Amino acid sequence: MDLTGLPTVTPTDREAVVRCLREASAAHTRVLVVGGATQLDRGNPAAVDLVLSTRALDRVVAYEPAEMIAVVEAGCTAAALRDLLRPHGQEWPVDADDDATVGGLIATGAAVPRQLGVGPLRDSVLELECVSGDGRAIHTGGRTVKNVSGYGLPRLLVGSLGTLAVIVQAAVKLRPLAGARRTLVAAGGLPVALGWLRSVPLATAILVHGDTAELRLEGWADDVAAQTAWARACAPDAHVGDDAPFPQAAPWSHHPVVAEMSVAPSRLGAVLATAGCDAGGLVGVGAGWAGLEGAAALDRLRRRVESLGGALPVVRGPGGLGGTLPAPAIHRRIKAAFDPAGILAPGRFWGGL
Amino acid sequence: MAADPLTLGLYARDASIIEGGCALVVLPSSADEVQACVQVAAREGLAIVPRGSGTGLAGGAVPLGDALVIVTSRMTRVLDVRPEDRLAWVEPGVLNQDLADAVRPHGFTFAPDPSSQQASTVGGNVATNAGGPHCLLHGVTSGHVLALDLVLADGARVRLGSEGPLAPGYDLRGVVVGSEGTLGIVTAVCVRLTPLAPVVSTCLLAFPDPLAAARCVAACIAQGLVAAAMECMDQASVRAVEQYVHAGYPEDAGAVLLVELEGLAAGVAHAVAELGTIAGAHGATSMRVAADEEERGQLWKGRKHALGAVALYAPHYYLHDCVVPRTRLPELLADVYRIAAEHRLLVVNMFHAGDGNLHPLFVFDRGEEGVLERVLTASQEILERCVAAGGVVSGEHGIGLEKRDFLPLLFSAADLGAQACVRQAFDPDGRMNPHKVLPAGARCGDFAMARGDGDLAAAVRSLPAGTWI
Ligand SMILES: Cc1cc2nc3c(=O)[nH]c(=O)nc-3n(C[C@H](O)[C@H](O)[C@H](O)COP(=O)(O)OP(=O)(O)OC[C@H]3O[C@@H](n4cnc5c(N)ncnc54)[C@H](O)[C@@H]3O)c2cc1C
Repeated sequence: MDLTGLPTVTPTDREAVVRCLREASAAHTRVLVVGGATQLDRGNPAAVDLVLSTRALDRVVAYEPAEMIAVVEAGCTAAALRDLLRPHGQEWPVDADDDATVGGLIATGAAVPRQLGVGPLRDSVLELECVSGDGRAIHTGGRTVKNVSGYGLPRLLVGSLGTLAVIVQAAVKLRPLAGARRTLVAAGGLPVALGWLRSVPLATAILVHGDTAELRLEGWADDVAAQTAWARACAPDAHVGDDAPFPQAAPWSHHPVVAEMSVAPSRLGAVLATAGCDAGGLVGVGAGWAGLEGAAALDRLRRRVESLGGALPVVRGPGGLGGTLPAPAIHRRIKAAFDPAGILAPGRFWGGL
Repeated sequence: MAADPLTLGLYARDASIIEGGCALVVLPSSADEVQACVQVAAREGLAIVPRGSGTGLAGGAVPLGDALVIVTSRMTRVLDVRPEDRLAWVEPGVLNQDLADAVRPHGFTFAPDPSSQQASTVGGNVATNAGGPHCLLHGVTSGHVLALDLVLADGARVRLGSEGPLAPGYDLRGVVVGSEGTLGIVTAVCVRLTPLAPVVSTCLLAFPDPLAAARCVAACIAQGLVAAAMECMDQASVRAVEQYVHAGYPEDAGAVLLVELEGLAAGVAHAVAELGTIAGAHGATSMRVAADEEERGQLWKGRKHALGAVALYAPHYYLHDCVVPRTRLPELLADVYRIAAEHRLLVVNMFHAGDGNLHPLFVFDRGEEGVLERVLTASQEILERCVAAGGVVSGEHGIGLEKRDFLPLLFSAADLGAQACVRQAFDPDGRMNPHKVLPAGARCGDFAMARGDGDLAAAVRSLPAGTWI
C-alpha cells in the first residue's frame, strides 16, 4: 500500500491513541495503523486519510525473565525485543524482520517459519491492551500462561489487521533459547523433507523449496547431534550449518508478488507443484510462501489452494487476501461493535470488511 | 428426549456446587439433530444449555428455568483420523481419553489431558479451554483445535477455523474455544494431533513442605528447564491418594512434585540431572525416577485420582481454580493455607504448579452449620489475593455461574462490554446458555457498570432464580 502524501500521527501513549481515534471516528477520518511498515501489502486495497504510527509506543512495560513473559508496547520492534531477551537466554519465537513491530506482527498473525516446533504466533499472545475504532481503551486476556477468565479476545485480535482496534501493548509468552541450533540443507526436495518429518522426531522446522530441503534442529547439543545422524540417513550429503540462520534461502522473496499459503499439511506437495520453483512450504505445518510474477499466476495458484480448502493472501505486491468469509453476519456485527464509524482501514480485511 | 423428574434432576447440575433446573433434556445423535433441536428452541424462544459429561466445575452446564439442555453424550464418533495432516475430526461427545486412545496407534496423542479425561468430552474441553498436566509443554486446548463446526442459536451452521494454519476472517474459532457454550453448540471438532514423545521420564520429588516445592518450581521455570508437566500435591493429598490408589508416594513428605520430562534420550537425561540439581538446592529430600511404564503409570494414577481420593476427609468439596505469575507461587500458596486456617477450614492443594495454576480444594461436611458461608468467604479472599498478585480468576475451569461476578476484578465495564458485544454478535437474542460467563450488568453498547469488588457469597446469593447451592 502506498502511503506517500498521507498525514501521519505518532502518539506517544495510550491516551493519545484514544484521543486520535475518538476524533477520527467523529470526523469519519479513515485510519491505517502502521508499525514497522513491513506488512502493508497484506490486506485488500483500502483508501485511508490518516496514518497512525505506533513507532513511538516502544517502551518495555514489564519483563521479569523468571516469568517467561514480556510485556511491551506495540511499537517495540522485533530487533529491540530480541536484544532485550537474548541476554536472559530467551526468545519470542516469531522470526520476523528487525523492523517489524510486536503490535504489527500480532495484527497480521503472520506464519512463523519454526511453527512446527514452537507453535503459531497466536498461541503466544497472552494479553493485549487496545483501543477500539471509537476510542475506547480495552484490556483483554491476562499476564498468566493459562487463562479462561472471560472470552479469549486476544485471539480475536490476532490477525485482525488493524480493522477492529489499535493494539497498543502486548504480553507475550517466551521460550528459552535452545543451547544448540543447526540448519541442514540437502538436495531432494519434498521426498527428503517428508522423510525427515518421519524420522526426526523433534524437528523444529522442515522447509522445502524447489529441489532443496532445509531442516532446523534446536535443543540439547546431544539431541541435535543424534537427530543430525537420523537426518543424514535420508540425505547423506546434507550440509550442516551450526548457528546458521533459518531459512537459508527464501527464493520467493525476489518476486514482485509474494503470497502466503495455508493448506492442510498433506496438500503442500500439490500446491507447491502448481506454484512453481520459487515457492517454499513448511512440511508438517501446511504454511508456505510463493513468489509470483503477477495477477494471472496468483489467480491460478489461489484457485488451486482454495479448491483444496486453503487460503492464499498476498503479503507483498498487489492481489489482496482472496478467500471467503465464514459467518459474514457475525463478522459484520463484531466489526460494527469495535469500530462503529468504520474508520479502521475500511475494506482491508477479509471479505472487504 | 426426556422430561421425567429423575432425568431433569440428573441434568440440573454439573460437578460444581450449583444446582439449577431445566424443562427438557434432549440427547441428539448427529449434528442434524442438534440443528433440529436448536430450531425448535428458536421457534419456542427457549434458552439452550449445551452439555457434555457435566464434569464442569463452574456451573457452565447448569440449566436455569425454562431451558432446553442439549447433551452431546450420544455424539461419540471419531469421524476421521488423518496422521498425514496431524489432525482428526471428532464429534463433541467423544471422551478425551477415547480420543487419545484412538490416535495413539498412529503415534499421536491429543495433548490436553485434564484430570477428568476419562469422563469429560472433547466438546466440553473446547468450551472450557481445558488444561491438564501436560499443557505446561504443549499448551491448553485452544492450541489444539484447528477448526470446529458450530450450530448457532438461530439454527444456522458454520465452520470456523481451517485444517491449515490460517483461515480467512477473524479467529472466531479462537473465540469459541473457552466460550462455555454461550456462542453456539460445537457439533464437530478438528483437533491437532501431537506426536508421542520418543522418551519420557517421570520423576517424583519429595519436599519438607509445599512452599519449598513451589520455590523449586519457580526456580525451574526461571532457569529455563522445559518440563512437560510439573504437578504439586501437598501432604493431605498424598495421604489420601496413598489410601485410595497406592501410587507409591512418600507419606511423610510435606509435599511431592511430579515432574515429567520428554524428548530424546540424551536431552531427557540432561534435564533429569538439572532437575535434581535445582531440587536439591531447594530442599528436596528425595527424587525417584520411574523405572518403567508401569511405575510411571502408577505415579500418574495417583495424581489423576487425587481429587476423588480426598473424599476420604469429608463428603463435600469445593475446588478452586486460579492462576498466578509463577514467581509468586510460594507466596500465594502460603496465603491459601493462612486464609483456610483463619476460616477454620481444611484445604488440600494439588495443582498444575508449572503453569502457576492453583487448585485450592476445600473439603467439608455441608451438614456443619455455616460451613458453606466460610468456604465461600475464604474462596473469595483467595481470588482477591491472586488478582492482587497479578493473576486471573480461572485457568481452566471457566467462569460459568460460579465466577461471573468476579470478572470485574479483572476487567473494566468497557472491557466487559467488548466481551458482551462479541457474544451478542454470535447470539443476538441471548438464548445460548444465558446468565453464564459475563456478570449481569455487562452489556454491549452500555458500559455503565463500574469496576466493582466481587463478593462470592453475595454473588452466589444473587444467582438467577431457580439455582441452589
Ligand atoms: C475430578 C475432576 C477433575 C477435573 N480436572 C480438570 C483438569 O485437570 N483440567 C480442566 O481443565 N478441567 C478439569 N475438570 C473440569 C471439567 O472436567 C472440564 O471443564 C471439562 O472440559 C468439562 O467437560 P464436560 O464434557 O464434562 O463438559 P460439561 O461440564 O458438560 O460442560 C462444560 C461447559 O461446556 C459447555 N459445553 C459442553 N459441551 C459443549 C458443546 N458441544 N458445545 C458448546 N458448549 C459445550 C457447557 O455448556 C458448559 O458451559 C475436572 C473436573 C472434575 C470433576
